[in-house]
Parts: sequence; structure tokens; C-alpha cells
Amino acid sequence: MAEGITYPVVVDADHVVTELYAISNVPTVVLVNEEDTIAMPNWSAYGSDLFSEFTGVESGKQHDRIRRWVREGDAGMSTSEAIGVVGDLSSEEEAARLHFRLALALRDRGDQAGCDRNFDRAAELAPEDWTIRRAMMPLQGQDPFGENFMVLYEDWKAKGSPYHGVRGY
Amino acid sequence: MANDTALLDSFGTISEAQLAELGWTLKPEGLCQDDTCVLIPDRGALVSDDGLGLAVLGDLLDRPVAIDTEAGLAAVGAPRAARRQALDDLVAPDFTLPNLVGGGVTSLSDHRSKKRLLIAFSSW
Repeated sequence: MAEGITYPVVVDADHVVTELYAISNVPTVVLVNEEDTIAMPNWSAYGSDLFSEFTGVESGKQHDRIRRWVREGDAGMSTSEAIGVVGDLSSEEEAARLHFRLALALRDRGDQAGCDRNFDRAAELAPEDWTIRRAMMPLQGQDPFGENFMVLYEDWKAKGSPYHGVRGY
Repeated sequence: MANDTALLDSFGTISEAQLAELGWTLKPEGLCQDDTCVLIPDRGALVSDDGLGLAVLGDLLDRPVAIDTEAGLAAVGAPRAARRQALDDLVAPDFTLPNLVGGGVTSLSDHRSKKRLLIAFSSW
């Protein structure tokens, strides 16, 4: 590992960061400068080419872009390009995140009906949001790589692959 | 702290103690947090014998609210201003979350003055 670099890993069970940054799928990468400014907003970037057949993304080029940003401060996107490039969450997508949290809390309390009720509401409010729909799957005993995932994936593609962020970089 | 979300026991209204959990106090001049006060245009719409109406409160504080009236549980989201700053002004919202291992928490701001590569990922 490179010297002077730390790799903190935190757990965001309630998906707070998806609300603060308008994140709708993972992986989503954000490059943040020394003074808390965003050099590259929500970016569909990958650590490897494991999913490149699916995504059409070459991770090596993305890593080069990150290296250039670290060394030269150039993330390859101007401030004017970066402003507003990520669409805001709709009020439905916002509410879906809250119902997702309510579902988790009611699940913890042993209220399965309440949990299901809120998961259903979240899915209804944000049908194309992976941080809602796919994250629910294992919590409802479904395989996140199974048939329901493929149905969701095809449906999402048919709707033009909506994503809150930058692709193709 | 400023970007916290909250879960509150509520069927639609909350007490002043719960309001304090959200970091706000009801004063004659408005809803106040430290030196900042938000004016309340229609106090009657916010305050009733049952407490403070959560939906009205959410509107005043510009925070989303969802209430499960069957379970008596409400979720209050982060201030929308934090996300708008990210999208419109490219200011990275701070957050504090528990570490995966070793206990304790980490904030984005713990690493201020360094470049940060923020990766949102899931094990699904």
C-alpha cells in the first residue's frame, strides 16, 4: 500500500450518504479535494474489470484519471461541467430513503409487517433506484444476483439506465 | 452532526424534547439552533395540544419527513441544503459513520486537507 494513504471503511446501514450525495447505484465514486470541494461528482467508476462486460467500462482508464488528479490536481472535469451534472433526488426518491430506514428499524423491532410495508413503499417510490431495490433483496430473503435482479436490470435498462451521476468517463 | 438523520417515535406530532433531539428549540422568535432561528409564519399550523406537527416542521427546516402512522415511527432526513450544496456548489457534505472494524466512527472531515477518494460500495 502506498505510504501516507489511509483506507478507512465505514458502514452506512441507513444509506445516509445516498441522501447527502444523491447516489442511486454502486459503485459510485466521488473525488473530494483538500478543501472539501468536489472535483468529480458521483462517478460510475470501478476497481477492476470484473464487470466490464456488463458495464462497458475500462477501469484502467479511470485509474489513470484518478492518478492524474492525485498528482496534478486535474480530475478531467471543469467546475462548470461538474456543477449540476448530477440530477437531484426527486421528492419520491428522497422519501424512499426514509421508508427504507423505517423498514430497517421496524425489522430490528421484530415488526415484520411494518418492515415489509415500508420496503414496499420505498420500492414504489423509487423503482429504478438500486440502493433501494437491490439493497432490499437480501433483507427480504432474495438473491441479489438471482432472477429478481435480472428482471430489475432489464427493466432499468429499458428505462434508459437512469443514474444520478457521471458515466462514460 | 449537522447532516444527521433521525428516527422518532411519532404518529405525526413530536414533543419539544424530541425537537431537541433534532437539535432545535422552540422559542418566541422561531425554531432556533445555536444563534440561528427559522421564522414560523403560522405558529398555529405547527403547534397544537398534541405537540409539534412533524410534516410542518419538516417543511420549515427543509428536511424530508416520512411517518408510518401504523407503527408510530417517523424518519427525518438530512437537511436538503447539504445535498444542494453538493450538486450546485460542489461542496462535499460531511458525514460521520461507524467504522467497519475496531469500533469508533470516521467523518469525511477527519481527513480534511488531504485528497479523498470516496467509494460508495455494497456487498449486497
